[in-house]
Amino acid sequence: MRYYHPITPYLFIGPMIGGLLLFRIGPIFASFLMSFTNWNIRTNPTWVGLANYQELLSSDVFWLVLRNTFVFVLTYVPGAMILGLLMALLVNQKLKGIAFFRGLYFMPFITSMVAVALAWNWIFSTRYGVLNGMLTTFFGIQRGPAWLSDTNLTLWVLIVVSIWKSAGFQMMVFLAGLQGIPQNIIEAARIDGANRLQIFRHIVLPLLSPVTFFVLIVSIIDAFKTFEVTYTMTQGGPRGSSSTLAYFIYQNAFVYQRMGYASSIAYVLVLLIAIVTIANFWVRRYWVAQQVN
Amino acid sequence: MNAEIVRRTASAVTIRAHSHYALHAARRLLIYALLLFVSVFTIFPFVWMVSTSFKSAGTIFALPPQLIPDKLFQPGMFDNYTEVLYRYDFVRYTVNSFFVSTMTGIGQVFTASLAGFAFARMRFRGRNALFAILLLTAFFPTEVTIIPEFLLGARVFHPILQPIGGWMNTFAPLIVPSFMVGSFGTFLMREFFSTIPLELEEAAIIDGANVFQIFRSVYLPLSLPSVTTLFLLSFINNWNELLRPVLYIRSRELYTVTLGLTTFQGEFESAWNLLLAGSVIAILPLLVIYVFAQRYIVQGIATTGLRG
Repeated sequence: MRYYHPITPYLFIGPMIGGLLLFRIGPIFASFLMSFTNWNIRTNPTWVGLANYQELLSSDVFWLVLRNTFVFVLTYVPGAMILGLLMALLVNQKLKGIAFFRGLYFMPFITSMVAVALAWNWIFSTRYGVLNGMLTTFFGIQRGPAWLSDTNLTLWVLIVVSIWKSAGFQMMVFLAGLQGIPQNIIEAARIDGANRLQIFRHIVLPLLSPVTFFVLIVSIIDAFKTFEVTYTMTQGGPRGSSSTLAYFIYQNAFVYQRMGYASSIAYVLVLLIAIVTIANFWVRRYWVAQQVN
Repeated sequence: MNAEIVRRTASAVTIRAHSHYALHAARRLLIYALLLFVSVFTIFPFVWMVSTSFKSAGTIFALPPQLIPDKLFQPGMFDNYTEVLYRYDFVRYTVNSFFVSTMTGIGQVFTASLAGFAFARMRFRGRNALFAILLLTAFFPTEVTIIPEFLLGARVFHPILQPIGGWMNTFAPLIVPSFMVGSFGTFLMREFFSTIPLELEEAAIIDGANVFQIFRSVYLPLSLPSVTTLFLLSFINNWNELLRPVLYIRSRELYTVTLGLTTFQGEFESAWNLLLAGSVIAILPLLVIYVFAQRYIVQGIATTGLRG
């Protein structure tokens, strides 16, 4: 039953589609074209073909940044997911005050990264930071590590802070998944003599797998997009040791004013996210439980 | 004899019940211990932030670091806060953030509920394809679209809008893009509208209501919880937004809290007591909102996978 003019739906989606064209689809194509140009803001763009990509492949900084990005993704994703799952199991109890703890654990996720990163900066400060202070007090380590200026450590600091900030999100999604598991299945397994670990391994985990898949995809994309923590805590330094792709794009586009070059890095990022996401959907059927109706 | 058996059985049952109870209590104690243990890690940065923000400049570099700040309950306890708020203009930054976040929240509700309604309840050519494209583009990180968006603003919008104040260094580039595009918001509203019984709509049609009336007086009032969720998520995201303010805002009187905070950091690298008082100011409004509207926020983030 259609009780409206055939044009009316387009009025409803109009503002959204306009925004989509101007701020998403347009820019997605534009930055692809721009990646083949040499363009700083002041001059007009010149077509350079694949030169930006060739420069990327022969740039040591790019390979360092790429390596950092992979280290980040490969540690942040399992870290945040395992921690999130453990926290979800912990707060998935019927106990007095449990809602308070859930709310507390989720809190870092909604607060501004800039503000909490400042606090972490101060905690990690080499001479006067409370972390090194505790190392001295409790372990007698007189000179703690230079967390934010040692090239071997900075990236790890960013990873720890990122996991700290987002684990509450992973927890909340896992918790929703855990609460969607029908109690009678678990009850049946218990009556059949399964212990806690067996129930978790053979019933909870498989039934949770669609949620795990969702968390995995979102966490990977988030890890690839890391920007704010880098911007606030290390500015990618020292000597690029904590720079990842998203920050590298920002730096090239808006600090060095190399719009074309930055666009080519952006497309490397798109390609990576696309490959990893498609690969995940590809292997999904081997480990994600199918919905049976 | 019988009485004896009954008595023995009864006492055995009580003993078992007691030990079961003891086990239960021990387990509960362990869980609370674990909960507190995790809490320490979660809140420590906040505790340290608040503690430092009540210290005087002389004591922030004390070794070993002190947890209890020297200004606590002393005269001038809030000096750091008043200095940051008035001397370093955080009052204005906070007002700016409120304005920008509220506007984007309203915009999101407006565009996403209109589009969500069309995608859920109207039939038109290209509906599924458009919806798929909307969701697909959300996979492209901001880093990809921000460069053309910036150039579009600088080269096209700014000259055109020059007579009414331009585009660069105004609130417009902070508000308009997230005002208009919201894949997750549209998704959220569509999901919700789909759950509203069609009978309501049909009854209204029979009563002679047109589609705008149905949207406004049947669907929107029913979707107040989803609208609240959407508004709050959008508010929070824009309150925390860093990249766009960094790129577009030059004048100090237009700074948002996040931009004000990073600039402040660059200028006063070691005034940690003031910097962290600024951090508390940046976080506090969100915490207040979170405490009162936790249900909406958590639900929205858990169902849409976050972000505007």
